[in-house]
Formats: sequence, structure tokens, C-alpha cells
Amino acid sequence: MKIFKLFIDENIKTWKKLSTKIMIIAIILSLFAVLTLVKFMEKTEENLLVYNSDNSTGENEKEFLEREIDFYESQLKNEKLDEETRLVTERNLEMYKLYLEYDISPYNNTWENELVDYIVEQKINGQNTDETVALLKNKNYNDYIEYQKKLLKQQLDNNTISEQEYNDELTILELKGKYEIGKNYDQESYWKRNTIQKIETAQNSLRTGINKETNKLINAEEKKDLEDSIKLNMYRLENNIPDSNNGSNTNYRMRFELLAPMFSIAVISIAIIVIAGGTISNEISTGTIKFWALTPNKRWKIMTAKLLSILFYIIILVLITSLLSVFIANVFFAEDGETYLYCQNGEVKEIGNTLYTIEYYFVKAIPIVIFALFAVMLSTITRNTAVAVSFSVALYIGNGIAMQIINQFITKDWVKFIPFNNLNLTTKIFPNATDMTSMMFGTNFATSTSLIFSLAVLGVCAFLMLVTMYDSFNKRDII
Amino acid sequence: MSKVVLELENVNKTFGRRKVIDNISLSVKEGEVYGFLGPNGSGKTTTIKMILNLINRDSGIIKVNGYDTKKQFEQAMECIGGIVENPDMYKYMSGLDNLKLHARLRNIDIKRIYEVLKLVELNGRENDKVGKYSLGMKQRLGLALTLLHKPKVLILDEPTNGLDPAGIKKLRDILKEIAHKEGVAVFVSSHILAEMQQMCDKVAVLDNGKIVKIEEISDQKEEETEQVELRVKNIDKTIKILKEKFNIEAKTEKEIINISLSTKLLPEVVKELAISDVEIKAVIPKNHTLEDIFFDATEKENNKK
Ligand SMILES: Nc1ncnc2c1ncn2[C@@H]1O[C@H](COP(=O)(O)OP(=O)(O)OP(=O)(O)O)[C@@H](O)[C@H]1O
Ligand SMILES: [Mg+2]
Repeated sequence: MKIFKLFIDENIKTWKKLSTKIMIIAIILSLFAVLTLVKFMEKTEENLLVYNSDNSTGENEKEFLEREIDFYESQLKNEKLDEETRLVTERNLEMYKLYLEYDISPYNNTWENELVDYIVEQKINGQNTDETVALLKNKNYNDYIEYQKKLLKQQLDNNTISEQEYNDELTILELKGKYEIGKNYDQESYWKRNTIQKIETAQNSLRTGINKETNKLINAEEKKDLEDSIKLNMYRLENNIPDSNNGSNTNYRMRFELLAPMFSIAVISIAIIVIAGGTISNEISTGTIKFWALTPNKRWKIMTAKLLSILFYIIILVLITSLLSVFIANVFFAEDGETYLYCQNGEVKEIGNTLYTIEYYFVKAIPIVIFALFAVMLSTITRNTAVAVSFSVALYIGNGIAMQIINQFITKDWVKFIPFNNLNLTTKIFPNATDMTSMMFGTNFATSTSLIFSLAVLGVCAFLMLVTMYDSFNKRDII
Repeated sequence: MSKVVLELENVNKTFGRRKVIDNISLSVKEGEVYGFLGPNGSGKTTTIKMILNLINRDSGIIKVNGYDTKKQFEQAMECIGGIVENPDMYKYMSGLDNLKLHARLRNIDIKRIYEVLKLVELNGRENDKVGKYSLGMKQRLGLALTLLHKPKVLILDEPTNGLDPAGIKKLRDILKEIAHKEGVAVFVSSHILAEMQQMCDKVAVLDNGKIVKIEEISDQKEEETEQVELRVKNIDKTIKILKEKFNIEAKTEKEIINISLSTKLLPEVVKELAISDVEIKAVIPKNHTLEDIFFDATEKENNKK
């Protein structure tokens, strides 16, 4: 209970400090800075889109097609054209004619464009195009899907594809039909198209047993991951939950949700390091350490109370920031935020946006504890706040790039044990989420260790720092 | 006999190669104001830090209220209160808030805080930030902090530092009162001799880390002869009278005659001089007793070397 009282005192002491209040304001400001940045992006990119679509619709498009057709026709009259160019030109001519005839935008990438390509292919091969052209004429998306299913069946009957392949492809087609993927060319369907592509890739890997990216045989774990990812992506389509992790995304809320933790956690880290770096050294230099040492409390209790109050401070700051972040996202963005999906025992589970945001912030804040411990340790050993704070801040800012370089040059196994290679826990706890750090630095053999491994390394590291600081504080003269 | 509540036994401390505290032993009883005298660098603060367990001792035993300060740290600290060098508080907090921090740790209620604030005459200023306090006010707040939990042993390192004459008198009164009425053992270090003389029951003189003398002040006052400074017009006549009638050797320094005589004799001397038509301008008693102890003791030490 004595520790609890010391802990309360420590908190009162911290919260009455002006610098504490300034830090909180800085953290809040960092969120608003990110908001401003994202809003600015939204504005500029919106203008860009408007400009693009102005250019690609209406009269201009038709004129463009006619001009192209004229050009290709005149080209074909040229006797000296070599065989290959002639083939390409004929192909393009056919394509643009169909575009013009059925009023299809050449800039789009819908099922119609796909069908036009297919018809051109048929024509070149001298096949009958009546059925396909009719499809184009009717402009019925579902008929197109049905036609594709028919083709697939034929392939199965001709034994050109396996039973497995047939089933996989059929699933894809049914998904496409159900969610009308590829029917329209807009931002809405963009993520769906990416998602269905992911499903296809995963199916492919499972079927062939080879990971397409690494060209290696997949093991049992990877197999499970692939199966889970298929389930996840189907769940996404079914419940209309877009993935923040797909290239062009106009969901600015998700962009905010990606950037805000990065910035605000950095600000919190610096703030905490500044506080932690003064824990013992400041009190010694101002003499206030006597304030505590002259009470009937053993030194380890005093130290523990100080550490707990720092931990408490981290928790409070992260909680405030994450809640504010959710609030800002809800107020300033019309879109839905990210809902985190994961597979558990083959079942897809959801974490709602608010809860997920908070959890994400906390996971991202775990490294702060390590850096805070480091700062407290330096503060206790050197008894010099300037040294403790500047070393810790330098380490915090520099560790990412330093590890990047080290991992490049040292490919030995022990590199994995360096604590800084184990700080990025978000990708390990939320493997299905987009992570800025891994997007920027990529992952490599040293950072792609398991969660348990990373936690163990960090745990050992924290333990050693704790032993050092307690030992120093217990044994040395206070002043 | 009252109980010994602070006890040092053969305490030693070395900083690097330098022996700062050399085999100190002393004991302070309940209700006693114990002065700890010594020139700069003699080791007063170091001793006090060891008593309060802020620094480790190399060897020896320190007991507070019977508890070993090392082995029974928490029990010992329950009975002790102290200020070392400066009473450092959190400057950005008010005096009251600083006291509250301490009060929480020691389960003290708010009434006691106001009681102590009143005692040190800080009431009315308790809500001001400590950073805005004057040096004397900080000293008072420091005293308030140490008195908060009614310690059995009060350790003060140069508490009069920065106090005005009224403040010093007040401090003296407070210390005397808590010592004599409440039975607190007060251990005060200082180098202001007059202060110590008026407030202490006993003094230990420290020089170069060694205790060179321990004296009971009250006893000493009666035994010792008094130093008196005479200022008269007829110097030669006066010296003659002193020599012939009282057998007192007088030392003259310019116009001033210094004599030492027993306290009882003084009225007679003055009477005799007046009868003999000596024009007395002033009779000034000089209470240099402690100073003498101090210089005697420290000089003896220095001469030995
Ligand atoms: N942390 C330390 N490291 C090394 N030497 C020290 C340390 N603290 C004190 N000393 C030395 O110990 C000796 C005694 O110092 P101390 O502060 O106890 O003197 P003091 O009697 O309190 O003097 P003052 O009247 O000036 O306050 C001095 O010579 C000082 O230089
Ligand atoms: Mg001193």
C-alpha cells in the first residue's frame, strides 16, 4: 500500500507540472496536424480527379476514337508495314471500332473492355463472334458472367483444366456476379477488384503448392494463412468492408487512421522520454529526491512508484490520443473507418473501428515503454538529465534507420536478437493491417520474427534495464 | 534518566581516499537540543546524511529510537525528520501541496498540516508556489515538513541559514518547546555560535571528522568566569583598583579594559569603581564561552599536527 501512496504522489507531482500540460497540448496538436494534412491531400486529389474525368468523358472521347480509327486505317494502307506491326494495328483498329460502336470508354477497365479484348481475339483467330457481340450489345453484366461460366464448363469437359481449377474459377465468377465486380469503373469497385485478385492468387498458390511471390513450396503454416486470407477477403466482399491496404484509395479516413498513430505516438514517445530521462537525475539535481528518501519507504519502493507513474502516464496519454483520434475521424470524415478482420479457428472475426483504433494505438505504444526504461536507466546511472534525454531521443529517432543499415550488411542470425529489430509489434499483432513502418522500411529476415520471439527479446531487454537501475538506485549514495 | 533516542557508535566514512568521518560516537537523549558544531568541511552534513541514510556509512552503528537505520530502515525513518543542507521542495507546487504529498505518505490529516503551518507562521502563504517563497520561508516550510509527523528525533542541518532575527528567535523557541515539552530530541548543526549557545543543552564540536569536545552548556555557564569589557575614562586608576581590591589582571586594548571574573563579583566591582570616582562609560558582558570552546578545541587539534 505504501507503493500505492507513493504512486499517487508521483502522479500528483507529474500532473501539477506545467510541462506535462504543454506535452498534452502538443500531442493533441499533432493529431490536428495530421488531420489538416489529410484534408489537404483530399482537396488536391479531388481536383486532380475532376480534371481527369473532364478530360475522359463526352465529346472528346468520341473524337479521340474517330481520330485513332482514321490513323490506324491509313496505316494499314501502307504497303511496307511489317507483319508484326500490321497485326497490332489490326487488333487496335478492331478494338477502337467496337469501342465507338458500343459507346465504351477506352479509359475504363470494366467487363465491357474485357469483353472487347476477347472479341478482338476471337476475330483475329477467325472464330464466330455472334454470341459475344450480342453480349456487348445487350450490355447485361450477368449474361456476361453466365457466358464465362459456360466457357469454363467447356474447358472442364475438354480436360484443359482440372476439377479443382474449375471449382476455384467458378467461385471467382460467382463472386464477381454477386458483387458486380468489374461492372462499373469507379473507386468503389476498385478495392473489390483488388480483393478478388487476392483471392485468386491465394487459390492459385494453394492449388499449385507454390508461393507465387517467393517461388518456394508453401508449408503448413503458410497454407493456413492462405486459407484464412481467402476467407477474410470473401468476408470483406460479403460485408462490404474495404481494405485500407490497397493502392489507390479515396478513403481519407483510413489514411488519417494510418498517419495519426504514427505522428502522435512519435510525439508521445519524445514527451515520455523527456519525463523519464529526468526521473532520478532531476530529483537529485533539485534535491527533491530527499523529499522521498526521508520518508519511511525503501528505495526500491520509491523507484517502483516512479516507474509505475511513468507507465500510467503512457497509458493515459495513449488512451486520450486514441479516443481523440476516433473522435476526430468520426467528426471530420464521412467514410467508415477501418474494421479489423482476423481469422480465428477458421472463423472470421471483426474488431470494430473504435476498439481497433484504441488497440492499435496501444500496440504501437509498446516500444515507448522500452525507450522510457532506457531513459530512466540512463537517468539513474549518469544522474544527468541532459545525457539521459539526448541519448534516448537519439536512439528513438535513429534506431529505425540504423537497424535498416545493420540488417543490410550483417545477415547473421544473431541480428534478430537486437531489441530494435523487434520493436514493430503492430505487424505481428495485427498481421492483416497496413503498417506505415513496414511500408517504408519493408520487412526482412531480422524483423519478420514471430510475436513471441519479439516479446521475449523485449522482455529480457526490459529486465536487464530494470536490474541495472534498481541496483544503482539502491546501492549508491543519494546525494 | 531520559532515554537515548539517537545513537552513533564508531561511525566512519571515507570519500575516495579521504577520511571524512573518523570514528564518531555520540548519543542524544529525549528532550535534548544537541548542537553539532564544526568549521566548514568538518563533516557535519556528511554525518547528518548518514543518520538519515542518504549516504552509506563505511562502518559503525547508527540507531534511531533503538532501530538500526540500515537494518530497520522503515521503523527508524518513522521516528525521524530532517532537513539536509537546503529544504528542497517542488517549486512549481504550493507549500500546502508539498506538505500534502508528505502527509499522504505518512497518513497525516489536513488538520495537522494547518497546525504546523501556523506553528512556523506560514499560514496565509500556504497556497503560494514554493518557487516564490523567500529563503527564510522555504526554511520554515522545510521545518513544517519535518515536524508534520511529530518525529521523535529531529535532525536539522544549519536551520538558521537565511532566517531573519525574528525567524531565528522563533525557530529557537519552536525547537526548545518541542524538545522540552514534547520530549523530541533535536540535533542541530550550525556554525553560528551565539545561536547554539542560546538554544542547545549540549554541543559536540567536530573538527576534521573527529569529535574533539562534548560540553553541556547549562553547567558550563555557572562554572565559567565571565568576560567583561569595561570602558572608562580613568584607565590607569581602574586597573589599579582592580589589581589591588579584587586581584584581577586586566588587559587593556586601546581604551578598552578586558577582564574576566566570576559572575557574582561583577556588581561589587562596578560599585567599587563608582565609589572611587571612576567615570564608567560602559560595562559590556561578553558571552564568548562557546566561541572559546570552539576555538580552543579546533586550535588544539590544529596545533597537534
Ligand atoms: N559526495 C562527496 N564526495 C566527496 N567528498 C565529499 C562529498 N561530500 C562531502 N565531501 C567532503 O567531505 C568533507 C565534509 O563535508 P561536509 O559537507 O560534511 O562538511 P560540513 O561540515 O557540512 O561543512 P559546511 O559547514 O561547509 O556545511 C568535505 O571535505 C567535503 O569536501
Ligand atoms: Mg554542511
